[in-house]
Amino acid sequence: MTQELIQQYVAGTLGEAEAEAFEESCLRDPELARQVELEQRLKLGFEQVARNSEEFVRSGNTGFWQLAVAASILVLVTAGVWMLQRVPQTSEHALAAVVPQLQLGGTSMRLALERGAENMPELPRGEVRVAIAGLLETGALYSVSLDRLHPLKPVQTISTLEGQKPSSPVTLEVMIDSDLLESGTYYLRVHRQASDEEALDFGFIKN
Amino acid sequence: MDFIPGGELSRRIREGDVSAESELIRQFEPGLRMLLRRRTGGDHGLLQDLVQETLLVVIQRLRGEGIDEPQKLAAFAAQTARNLAIASLRKAERQKTDVDSEATERNADPTRSVEGLVEDVEAAMAVRALLRELPQARDRLMLKRFYLEDHDKEVICQEMQLTEAAFNQALSRARRRFRQILDERGFSKRDLLSPEP
Repeated sequence: MTQELIQQYVAGTLGEAEAEAFEESCLRDPELARQVELEQRLKLGFEQVARNSEEFVRSGNTGFWQLAVAASILVLVTAGVWMLQRVPQTSEHALAAVVPQLQLGGTSMRLALERGAENMPELPRGEVRVAIAGLLETGALYSVSLDRLHPLKPVQTISTLEGQKPSSPVTLEVMIDSDLLESGTYYLRVHRQASDEEALDFGFIKN
Repeated sequence: MDFIPGGELSRRIREGDVSAESELIRQFEPGLRMLLRRRTGGDHGLLQDLVQETLLVVIQRLRGEGIDEPQKLAAFAAQTARNLAIASLRKAERQKTDVDSEATERNADPTRSVEGLVEDVEAAMAVRALLRELPQARDRLMLKRFYLEDHDKEVICQEMQLTEAAFNQALSRARRRFRQILDERGFSKRDLLSPEP
């Protein structure tokens, strides 16, 4: 219960009277105040990392990831033929670039980083034109990855599109074929190619 | 060290007991820091100034006329801190309105900026180290959604198909490790993380 209160206070979701009562409790209990300050610094650290760093959510120890990538390649090469023969290729085709002349109209969805948004948007059925909203460089090229979040496994990258150009300074569009995705939680990860900029993750749910 | 009730502290300070003033500082400083941290927008220099100012105002008041309800000393100190933070904010707003912004930037107090920056950098370094140590991308995403995007625990658990126990465990591990990293790197302030003197 105390930890809940600390989290609510730091997130600013306690009512004014509750927050003031909590502050007075902290003045009477220095150890509780220290716990709150630790939480405040942890949140500040995340905000700073997100603001300044290229290595965030998927970042890790470089050596570890190099080894992991090398191991993954080895496993993929040895298992590749078997996999290609036995597993139908489905979801990797779920992500595609937009071809403006062919894909006017139809279903669309907008994804934006909304601080404090309570629910992830739900991907409609069929072919969906997804508009990713953010501050983008119109002359730059972006990579867009479709990642699936598994409850007990590492994030699975289903497909990646390279060389995507924003359609405006605030929008980058891709196509997702919803019918080729299993139910679950997914992220579109947008990264400006050849840059140190922080990649942006846009989550959505497929039911 | 045991907590000394506000009524007793007030009485002893009024009677000129200097050790009671030290005790008041020991008891109230952590709480004042967290209260004012929330109201100073990451300006570490301002935070320090306001903590000192609040303690000074409270001690001077207790040495002099005293307060109406000594048993509510914590509430009095908290309200003093809030009032000082509001006054400081109003002063800053007035300066913003009255003074040419370029001139303000040119004359900004460099010490205050550096102090704030150091605090930011320390927190960021500790979080980076923490993230590097987390082997599961899921844990990193979970922390990001919780601390950066302010999503509710229930929503995160539902979307990431986590039990509440697993979520709490991961969060508690992350907090503990963050605290250790601050400590190991010497970023833990005396008034924040060290054991009681």
